[in-house]
Amino acid sequence: MPNAARHVKFISRTVLVRNDNVDEAMRLLNRLMGREGLLDQYRRTRYYEKPYQVRRRVNYEKCQAIYNEDMQRKIQFIMRKNRVDPFPGCS
Amino acid sequence: MNFPTLFRQFRVLTTALPMRQSALEAGRISQQSCCFPVVENRRWKSEDRRVLIQSMPIKDMGTQGEKQLDVDLVNISKENVYPDADTPNMLFDGVRFADLPICHIKASKNNTIMQVTNSLGVLIAYRSCGMDGFKNTRKGTNIAAQTTAVAISGVAKGKGVTTVRVKVQGLGPGRMSAVKGLQMAGIKVASVTDNTPISFTPPRPRKARRL
Repeated sequence: MPNAARHVKFISRTVLVRNDNVDEAMRLLNRLMGREGLLDQYRRTRYYEKPYQVRRRVNYEKCQAIYNEDMQRKIQFIMRKNRVDPFPGCS
Repeated sequence: MNFPTLFRQFRVLTTALPMRQSALEAGRISQQSCCFPVVENRRWKSEDRRVLIQSMPIKDMGTQGEKQLDVDLVNISKENVYPDADTPNMLFDGVRFADLPICHIKASKNNTIMQVTNSLGVLIAYRSCGMDGFKNTRKGTNIAAQTTAVAISGVAKGKGVTTVRVKVQGLGPGRMSAVKGLQMAGIKVASVTDNTPISFTPPRPRKARRL
């Protein structure tokens, strides 16, 4: 266990359970780990990933990131509201 | 601002804020910020900076009455969820958090192994899906994990364990249901920790499966 041994026990990757709501705590923990990319890394290292597969995956992720960033900006633009001037450039 | 406007805004606030709270809890709204009509919230005694900022009158965004409400309500509601420096000294049924027994759960693809130890790591109870009468593929199911959790709870309760900290390892099908099973069997779960060994510079894994 290379990583776990270096961290303080029951501080890192820990969620306290409130009001006996174990389900919520588990879901929060899983969501955090998923968002940090830990689950992906775990699944990826079960089997050897050949260098050509790594290249393809990294390239795909790059393209996806660019697309997502652009699309996010477009959506933000469309969803923007409460403009001081509701019709910019038309007055 | 004249009186009718103020009154209208107050009504909007009283109706809208609980809605917003529930929406936040359901995770439907992003946590950063959101446009929402609010009235000025004045507090004369401010303890810290956040309260001070909250007490400032909020600027209108374009239209009158439409204001930006900075929300870290999600963080506020989650403030007791993550452990901090005081957590080891928190008391659970009169026992310090650091002295609580630990339930180790190894949820692998084909089996779920659970053991309850005391805080020093001395074994109290041990149980696996294979021991509970599940064989072969059935060991690697969530139902088997739940059964095992219930079984180990019985053993642990007989030895005086009421509250445990849970350490989960692996992403098998028993990951969630084992913890749920513990609770179902009447053992209190104080915290859930993930202990999955994840390396970013692993030794070369076995060769990929060919399907």
